[in-house]
Amino acid sequence: MKYMLIIYGNQELWSSIEPGDFARELAAFDAFNQKYLESGELLGAYGVADAAATKLVRLADGQPAVTDGPYLETKEYLASWYLLDVESEERALEIAAELPSAKYRPVEVWPILHEAPRAAGADPGLG
Amino acid sequence: MRPAPTRASADRDRRVTGDPSTEDLLRELAPQVLGMLMRRYAGLDSCEDAVQEALLTAATQWPSSGRPDNPRAWLLTVASRRLADILRSESARRVREDAVYLATPPAVLAGADSWLAEAGPSGPRDSDDTLTLLFLCCHPALTSSSQVALTLRAVGGLSTAEIARAFIVPEATMAQRISRAKQQIRAAGARFAPPDAADRDQRLRVVQQVLYLVFNEGYVASAGAALQRADLSAEGIRLARLLRRLLPDDAETAGLLALMLLTDARRAARVAPDGALVPLMDQDRTRWDRGLVAEGAGLIAATLASTSALGPYQLQAAIAAVHTEAASVADTDWAEILALYELLARVSPGPLVSLGKAVAVAMVHGPAAGLAATDELAGALARHHRFHAVRGHLLEMSGDTDAAASAYGLAARYATNAAEKRYLERQRRRVRDG
Repeated sequence: MKYMLIIYGNQELWSSIEPGDFARELAAFDAFNQKYLESGELLGAYGVADAAATKLVRLADGQPAVTDGPYLETKEYLASWYLLDVESEERALEIAAELPSAKYRPVEVWPILHEAPRAAGADPGLG
Repeated sequence: MRPAPTRASADRDRRVTGDPSTEDLLRELAPQVLGMLMRRYAGLDSCEDAVQEALLTAATQWPSSGRPDNPRAWLLTVASRRLADILRSESARRVREDAVYLATPPAVLAGADSWLAEAGPSGPRDSDDTLTLLFLCCHPALTSSSQVALTLRAVGGLSTAEIARAFIVPEATMAQRISRAKQQIRAAGARFAPPDAADRDQRLRVVQQVLYLVFNEGYVASAGAALQRADLSAEGIRLARLLRRLLPDDAETAGLLALMLLTDARRAARVAPDGALVPLMDQDRTRWDRGLVAEGAGLIAATLASTSALGPYQLQAAIAAVHTEAASVADTDWAEILALYELLARVSPGPLVSLGKAVAVAMVHGPAAGLAATDELAGALARHHRFHAVRGHLLEMSGDTDAAASAYGLAARYATNAAEKRYLERQRRRVRDG
């Protein structure tokens, strides 16, 4: 069963972390990713850039209109997400609790409902 | 730790021959050749990689050079040469802990002439080897997803790319799972030998469970993925047929195969053109596969008539057979289904079995009795979509449409399968709009 783990963040939180602690945190995340890539349970881990880098695309009269993202004034925004493929919900919750950020921020655990299949022969060869 | 993927060449899609009979033959021979290698050289990881490479070579060479007179001997020769290469490169890289590898002169491995006499037509020894291989792949030290992946590769003869595609994960992830499973088997000290008599029944249950997982993974796939994943149902059935050939007297193995056949028979009627699930009660029964129904029903009837060892697969198959014998929901022998559920709840108790029983209770004794039977499950299944779907159905039967609509609504919210969610949402709207 596949689950998405989501961490939300805010600029205040990131700014409050001392540089030395930050390096330690990053190393902890690397260790977490490595551990679950090796167990075959983590399919991917992604983190987004700052909200200031976000763009918004709308169609106006069929033409794309691009503006700055909507989150500049928002305190909290999506920071990273992880795609898991695990035995059970309990296992997903167990792994979520091991995320280094779980000490100070909650982790959302979403079951995946639908996923596009890969066509035969179109494997992107991620290996 | 061994890097993954182990040998990328063996992981590429083998289905280049476009020749289903070659593909079928290779997959049938794969566990036999692997068994012969393992009987001499243990080491599941190296032997399995060697067999995969031999299969790949066969699939690319046979179409142009013609199929050899003795395909088994051909595969065994090529696999043993590959194994010699693998062992040589591995021992060059580091000293193996396993003295067997170092003690085996590569020339002996590469020649393998003395084996060829054995590599003729398959015999009883191959059956034993294949069964031992199944037990090894379904080793209790592994998680069920690792058991499934390893069984599909080592016994099913599928490539890592094919397995990865079936489960919609990156090939690197599946390669990692398979290589880790092999390490865990090694770490658990498992040998290429049948389980002890004391453990055998328990280990056989695990093998059956793994085959059922393979089947179900294909069966409950959502509409978008249905085409690719239907292959997993076919593979589950193929492996269950293989297990039945290996253990013709095991009643639960027969029950498992019958259950798969009777379930698969309903495949075409189970999904609407828009991808929504069609539940048993609403299915167009003329679309059921009569050949599969006849085979499954015949198998379970013969099994129940000759065994006293009733188990959950036999009982579930018997329930499925009662459904498939009826021309309609109204014609269904619900009293028989209720009696079978009572037996099932005794041999294999659990909240989902009790939920199935509650439906039968409602069909025999009326919706109020069925709803009462679901009450005690509210704790265990409060967040399970099927609990709310059954409640919705029984509430609708009892005429309480408001409560039925909200139960269907809850069921739709908890569903984690797109086809089921679509069906439940449609039920909610249908009941609400009267």
